[in-house]
Amino acid sequence: MPSRLDGPLKVTGRARYGADHNFPGMVYGYVVLSTIAHGEIQAMDCTAAMSAPGVLAVYSPFDPLELRTPSTPLFGETRVPMQDKDVTHYGQPIGFVVAQTFEQARDAAMLVGVSYHARPAHTSLEDGLATAEDAPPARDGAPPTLAVLAPGVESIEDALAASPVVTEATYATTTQHHAAMEPHSAVAVWGQDGLTVYSGNQATHLQAMELAGALDVDLSRVHAVNPFVGGAFGGKARTSAPAFLAAAAARALGRPVKAALTREQVFTATAGRAATVQRISLGAATDGTLIAVRHDSWCSTDTDRSFVEQTSHVTSREWYATQNLAISQRMVPLNVPPTTFMRAPGEAPGSFALESAIDELAVALRMDPIQLRMRNNSAAPPGKDLQWSSKHLDECFQLGAARFGWANRSPHGHTDGDWLVGMGTATAMFPALRFPATVEITLRADDTAVVATSGADPGTGLLTVLALVGAESLDITPDRVTPRLGDSALPPGGLSGGSTGTASAGTAVMIAAVAVIDAVLTLASSPGAPFEGHEVLYADGRLLSDGRSMTFGELLRATGRTSISATGSSAPGEEMTKHSFASFGAQFCEVRVHKWTREIRVSRLLGVFDAGRIINDQTARSQIMGGMIWGVSAALHEGLEIEANGRPANGDFAGYLLPVNADIPDVDVHFVEYPDTLHNAVGARGVGEIGTVGMAAAVANAVHNATGIRVRRIPIVLEDLLDQPVRAPSSGSR
Amino acid sequence: MDISLEVNGTTHQLSADPGVTLLDALRERLDITGPKKGCDRGQCGACTVHVGGRPVLACLTLAATVRQPVTTVEGLSTDDSLHPVQQAFLDQDALQCGFCTSGQIMSAVAAVTQDVQDVREFMSGNLCRCSAYPNIVAAVEQARRADASV
Repeated sequence: MPSRLDGPLKVTGRARYGADHNFPGMVYGYVVLSTIAHGEIQAMDCTAAMSAPGVLAVYSPFDPLELRTPSTPLFGETRVPMQDKDVTHYGQPIGFVVAQTFEQARDAAMLVGVSYHARPAHTSLEDGLATAEDAPPARDGAPPTLAVLAPGVESIEDALAASPVVTEATYATTTQHHAAMEPHSAVAVWGQDGLTVYSGNQATHLQAMELAGALDVDLSRVHAVNPFVGGAFGGKARTSAPAFLAAAAARALGRPVKAALTREQVFTATAGRAATVQRISLGAATDGTLIAVRHDSWCSTDTDRSFVEQTSHVTSREWYATQNLAISQRMVPLNVPPTTFMRAPGEAPGSFALESAIDELAVALRMDPIQLRMRNNSAAPPGKDLQWSSKHLDECFQLGAARFGWANRSPHGHTDGDWLVGMGTATAMFPALRFPATVEITLRADDTAVVATSGADPGTGLLTVLALVGAESLDITPDRVTPRLGDSALPPGGLSGGSTGTASAGTAVMIAAVAVIDAVLTLASSPGAPFEGHEVLYADGRLLSDGRSMTFGELLRATGRTSISATGSSAPGEEMTKHSFASFGAQFCEVRVHKWTREIRVSRLLGVFDAGRIINDQTARSQIMGGMIWGVSAALHEGLEIEANGRPANGDFAGYLLPVNADIPDVDVHFVEYPDTLHNAVGARGVGEIGTVGMAAAVANAVHNATGIRVRRIPIVLEDLLDQPVRAPSSGSR
Repeated sequence: MDISLEVNGTTHQLSADPGVTLLDALRERLDITGPKKGCDRGQCGACTVHVGGRPVLACLTLAATVRQPVTTVEGLSTDDSLHPVQQAFLDQDALQCGFCTSGQIMSAVAAVTQDVQDVREFMSGNLCRCSAYPNIVAAVEQARRADASV
């Protein structure tokens, strides 16, 4: 069995992603976007577009496709395009042209004339800081501003004033985009049973709910199919504009409709990660013990205030033992594309700030940054009674330090010819979460099993995990298990998000396995069955009684059945009242900065992670490695530059820099495996996001170690290092 | 205009506008969907195919200009066996979401065929947002060893 079950289809080009579906009579939609950031559409001249070759329809706010705003329990309301004439950001979907071919639709879309009543656009986070609004309560209900103070301490200012060593700095992270390789797209087909949509998304059952709500049809008449998703990272949680538009247009026209955003459109017609500004003050005793942590955060958001990038609430609130803590979260609504979850939402930018600040404190204390982190290791989030269920962060640092050669690190880096070499480290943490999930297991007469849930595997490896946990739970070999995923007709579960897939669906697999084994045992001893009236046991895929045994397939055949099925459901439960749950990790980075050009090269990366049980070592390692490279990307490459008029200056793959192969060295990933069965029966806590957390800070800390230059804004660019003198190396080499 | 395209050993006749790219001809006219549209302007490499044995970006190639045989990722394997590069991608887990994989593999085949010196540099025209880069390098190295042993 390959380590990734869908691998053979993916390496042969046979895996069909959403836009890979073609149907007879299919026509093509092309989305028209706004060219201003704020205002109202006065008129749209669609005459030329309508009469262009092959055009079937041109939709606009003046002649819209009928769509309602859908709402789901998990996401709340999701915006649908074209239902009013308001423009709130540049590149907002305002029209949809449908034609016989893709080229005809694209050509006609260029002929649509739009006139606006433009209003001033607010697009700068920095300019909006003074008028920022308090964020709504966090996901756990925490208020935007909160403090945990030691007895007798009046304020965080007092705690800082009483601290022998204090550091304070402001950090900034830029607007980012998921930039999954598969642009948001959909193929929509209406038939007698309703709508079938092929569109990459992180949870087919939620996509079906959103489409049913938007189209005002019964959920049973919407079928969402996406066995293959070309990357998501949070950017395909909600249903995309082309999916809503293709589905509505296909209904209106009675033809299958394919629609895909261009790469440039993806940057504005979908949602991305907010920019943040964070001010952190740390107060410590001279031995490094934290006395006060203050972390004030601001983020950009869209004018609907649809998402808050919570940086202090998901990092400083929980990461370190401190006697006093104060955090705040504010937001600045801007005329920018919507913001949403993006891999480690909050934790990624928040950890850049906090873990840079911890490094600065280590420098101020003349203390090893690993020692400082271990000194302030927390047994529970500050002010909370619930201890971490299973935390081995110290071990991650100790192992990592040994593997990385941390003992060779000098506080002032070292030189290698014209290169300044430095090492950095950072803590990684990500909460262990679960979502409700239902899984169906079917045992078949050919002695195989099917494990099925609706969700999605956008490269995470969940499909393979279903087979592995299913095989283990059924006590059979994995090659006898067929996993099914990416179809809203299957039981709801397996949402790809929040690093929850394995913990959520895996637990439901175990429960479903118990149920289906119960069912097959009952069948075995039922009247007329081979073990009628006997006590029957199940092991190795066989039924055993009184020295006789038969496989479940033989039993099914003997009883005239082709299969037997059962479902199992799981959800977070009372464990949440007993412990705090998170995964932990230690990130290590070595950079080389050229003495003259200040070019920054990452030369080594190591991450050591305590993420509970690892179900599939190879795919888990790959996912963590990808996450770590995302951290490098945040530190040195990617950032969406939004101009004053709201237009992204670099909204394509030439301008929005992602690491390429030559930017990335070999990556060492190591797991300390302590199954966390207090969190869930599988013992796995998820690896999708934690690899990203902390890595950007580890890079920045390594740059500081190499050069003596502290850069507090990512991505770090050459100018940041060219504008300042590098520290004179104390000696020729380490 | 009438276009004749030989793809993976089969010759297709189609009628298409002169502005139709090789990528859209393959995907939308011939239902050969292994090559992917990640950017449509030569910035990501997901559409990489071979024309006359050389890697090209199908999104920047007009279908009407193609005279030599086209090979896509579908043309590398048979029902029974994978191409050594495809097998290496599987063995090294050189993919996650798989969307860039068709293009990565076509570039990797060229890297092996041309016996390139710097694999990382050669493979840098193919973006992978899942960031499987180290595993992709390992896959090229594995395929190169397999190639040498043939």
